[in-house]
Amino acid sequence: MALSRKVGLIAGAKYKGGGPMLSWVLHRISGLGIIIFVTLHVIASFLTQQLGSDLGIFVNTIYESIYFQLFIVFCAIFHGVNGFRIILLDIWPRLIRYQKESTWIEWFVIVPLYGLIVFIMIQRFLQG
Amino acid sequence: MQVTLKIFRYNPEDGRKKHYDTFTLDADPTDRILDLLEQIKGSEDGTLGFRRACAHGVCGSDAIRINGVNRLACKVLVQDLKSRKVTIEPILGLPIEKDLIINMEPFFDHYRSVMPYFVNDDPPPSKERLQSPEDRERFDDTTKCILCAACSTSCPSYWVNEEYVGPAAIVNAHRFIFDNRDQAASERLEILNEQFGVYRCHTIFNCTDACPRDIQVTQAIGEVKKAIVNGRLD
Repeated sequence: MALSRKVGLIAGAKYKGGGPMLSWVLHRISGLGIIIFVTLHVIASFLTQQLGSDLGIFVNTIYESIYFQLFIVFCAIFHGVNGFRIILLDIWPRLIRYQKESTWIEWFVIVPLYGLIVFIMIQRFLQG
Repeated sequence: MQVTLKIFRYNPEDGRKKHYDTFTLDADPTDRILDLLEQIKGSEDGTLGFRRACAHGVCGSDAIRINGVNRLACKVLVQDLKSRKVTIEPILGLPIEKDLIINMEPFFDHYRSVMPYFVNDDPPPSKERLQSPEDRERFDDTTKCILCAACSTSCPSYWVNEEYVGPAAIVNAHRFIFDNRDQAASERLEILNEQFGVYRCHTIFNCTDACPRDIQVTQAIGEVKKAIVNGRLD
């Protein structure tokens, strides 16, 4: 009997698609990060404001931690810039020939922007 | 030089689970991976199963995963690889029949679903149906497809969705959609506008990298998407 066509997560992750596949994976992860952030925010607001529960304050401490904030800022910037790149390629398919160049431009935007925001966030965090 | 090949093995008749066998061979830098597979089958293990036909990158029968990416075994030289340790596996997303041999039928079912043939109900002219070089240029790239399935089986959307027609089917639809002598473009666009048509493509680009004929697969899919949205072929 033939082996199933199903491709597991590990087998799929082992495919060496390089930079473009990494962009796609990061787009999914950053999207999930944004969903988690918004969900935690809504839950914390509901628990605190509607029920007056201490659990809401606990949830607040999770997504307001510096580590979570650094992660979510990366998610928001990457998801936005990469999404914009994909929209441009969808509108002008002839530009798809230059997708490698477009990925480089994307990182030229993301790295300094994220670096600047991280610098400001850490500076404020250290100042208390 | 010595090359070590780690090859995926599965034989439904011997009762063993899927596993890997390792072979160490003497090879020249200009040997192709297909040559090494032939060497193993000829002198080390005659039970090794793999497909081959023309062995010159035209028939598309020997698409496999070489060190984690889809390639034709007859087009990759030992000197092209960064490592002397080579992992050989069947392409993903299609049922494995034996070792490196996969069942291509689901792939061809998707291919057939997009009407990959010329449709023109006008009476044929006395000579050929003429076409300008500019009109021909519009779909020239997608005429190069050899149906090796390297593109479709490199696509994560194709791996997880049996219904998705896949990049190869869209490329072959593109070849006829943008042929100005053909009269069934709107029917093909309607097929590809379905839930499991072009919109399952998430511009991952694995297909373009995997294509042994250097077809701009993602661009072709993008052009079909745009034709569906705009309702015209420009």
